[in-house]
Amino acid sequence: MKKDRRDFINTCFRFAAGAGIVGIAGVLAVKSQKGDFLWQLDPSKCTQCGRCATSCVVTPSAVKCIHVYDMCGYCDLCGGYFRPNVKNLSTGAENQLCPTGAIKRSYVEDPFFKYEIIDELCIGCGKCVKGCGAFGNGSLQLQVSHDLCVNCNQCAIASDCPSDAFSRVPIDQAYKFAGFKSNKKI
Amino acid sequence: MLSKRSEKGLILSSVVIASMLFVYWLVYNPVKDIHASVPGMDNRPEQSESTEKILIGEGFDFFSEFTSSLTGKWTQFRGANSDNISKDNTKLISSWGAAPKIDWQVELGEGHAAPVVYNGKVYVLDYDEVKKADALRCFSLETGEELWRRWYRVHIKRNHGMSRTVPAINDKYLVTMGPRCHVMCTDPTTGEFLWGLDLVKDYMSEIPFWYTGQCPILDNNVVILAPGGKSLLIAVDCTTGKVLWETPNPDNWQMSHSSVMPMTLDGKKMWVYAAVGGIVGVAAEGDDAGQILWKTKEFSPSVVAPSPVVLKNGKIFMTAGYGAGSILFQVKKKGNAYEVETIQQFKPKDGVASEQQTPIVYKDRMFAILPKDAGGMRNRFVCCDPNDCTKIVWTSGTNDRFGLGPYIIADGKFFILKDDGTLTIAKASTEKFELLDKTKVLDGHDAWGPLVIVDGRLLMRDAKHLLCIDVRAN
Repeated sequence: MKKDRRDFINTCFRFAAGAGIVGIAGVLAVKSQKGDFLWQLDPSKCTQCGRCATSCVVTPSAVKCIHVYDMCGYCDLCGGYFRPNVKNLSTGAENQLCPTGAIKRSYVEDPFFKYEIIDELCIGCGKCVKGCGAFGNGSLQLQVSHDLCVNCNQCAIASDCPSDAFSRVPIDQAYKFAGFKSNKKI
Repeated sequence: MLSKRSEKGLILSSVVIASMLFVYWLVYNPVKDIHASVPGMDNRPEQSESTEKILIGEGFDFFSEFTSSLTGKWTQFRGANSDNISKDNTKLISSWGAAPKIDWQVELGEGHAAPVVYNGKVYVLDYDEVKKADALRCFSLETGEELWRRWYRVHIKRNHGMSRTVPAINDKYLVTMGPRCHVMCTDPTTGEFLWGLDLVKDYMSEIPFWYTGQCPILDNNVVILAPGGKSLLIAVDCTTGKVLWETPNPDNWQMSHSSVMPMTLDGKKMWVYAAVGGIVGVAAEGDDAGQILWKTKEFSPSVVAPSPVVLKNGKIFMTAGYGAGSILFQVKKKGNAYEVETIQQFKPKDGVASEQQTPIVYKDRMFAILPKDAGGMRNRFVCCDPNDCTKIVWTSGTNDRFGLGPYIIADGKFFILKDDGTLTIAKASTEKFELLDKTKVLDGHDAWGPLVIVDGRLLMRDAKHLLCIDVRAN
């Protein structure tokens, strides 16, 4: 059937309106999906390669070390705080493993010490995490800090991660640290 | 052209601005938010001498009379030959059947201390958390009934366990070393207290992190101890409690969790000890008993738990955890002196290493569980040629990984305890890993105490329980 010009224009408008509605719905769906999911790293897959510190688009990295206190042994000789084979267990910079001094060590009672991460100084290099895992209970773990993460569509660290430890997680399970109590921000 | 007045004004303004900038530059501190990390920021208090008065062997509880026809013996850490191979001729099981046959189970204070066995009696240095006392407990091997307990009050805080040593025993003497370096000698039959030594007070020993792991060694009624501090090694006559010889400690090496191991080189008997600071060989007999024959500082991690593995031809393998790796070195006699030559030294991902347990040498092969920092082979049970510890002959594979738990050889089989309480039996093969059977014996954790197999019974523990399992084939 031959269409006249008026029908043709009407049809075009209908198609355009339909495509617009579908497009808007699609964009909204994607946006809403992005809002419901966040990037997080799985400590059980993490090999502490150090790329979290350098690959993130945020400076310093949105990946931070967290301390799972219920796993910590509160050791005097902490493998996450001290360099390997230090002879003097003091807070002198020469003894510390953290390149930015982001771990605060404080005496609790003999022979126990508490270790706190100073978020502002932590660059997410994972050196302490590696030391803690090799020496202690593995209570220091890397996690994406969601108050700093800009939740890129394609996370730059996830692309660089050699152990495929990054994935999107539901917003109600935003943290994946391993420990006695899981999925809870310390 | 500017007028002279304007010129002067301009110069003056420039000088004022330059002066202000200079003052600002002087006053401004760009590093005001940076703090130096210096010792003392953790508020660690000054070490003060303990005022706690400890009366070693002060208490005794008698529970029951005892008779037994059993004659099996496991006399010290790693057994009489220090090789961790049971000489028990009893034929042992190759599978667990429906379930392991647990003869008895007793509750212990939290720790990793393991027992010795002598003629049907089991002795373990426990920590009594109620009484707050080191307690030498004697049980019947057949029934698990507690026969007596010799104890002394000493305050121990929970720190990855409390007890962690193995006693040493012979016909007449039973010697223990407590978490805070208290040495106690008793009569193994009656439990009578004979003498005691406080190594911290007498030898200025430094208690290792997580308390003492060193196990005393008995040699013809003489006990060998490594206090560190004032004397590297000492020999004590069990009959009198008197010190026979003391080894000088010129480098101020400290006590480790490692135990003293015997070695004979070119007919010369010596004691080998891996202290925090280095490894030393000390003359065991003769006019120079107690003198240092050789030493090396090539391997000196800050935490040492395994003991030296003495190999053939003066070779010694030493390993430690927490990234330290291992060393293989050879002691050679040159004239009247000894020389130490390092053959291999490597990180845990490059060869055989161990974090807590001492490897076993069997049929010219060495067996160990690799530590968690051993890369892809972490926690696997492995076999190597001890002449080249970087070449792994076989591993237990990806599915059979173990933790920090102990292993022992008996009746041509490995008995391997994973620290979650899973007990594995494997054929003691030098060719490949041959799994026979495995079972979860208990739901405990930190099952690190060494295993004992004697009279067809296997003694094992987790952090809080001691179990006796009947592993006889029939």
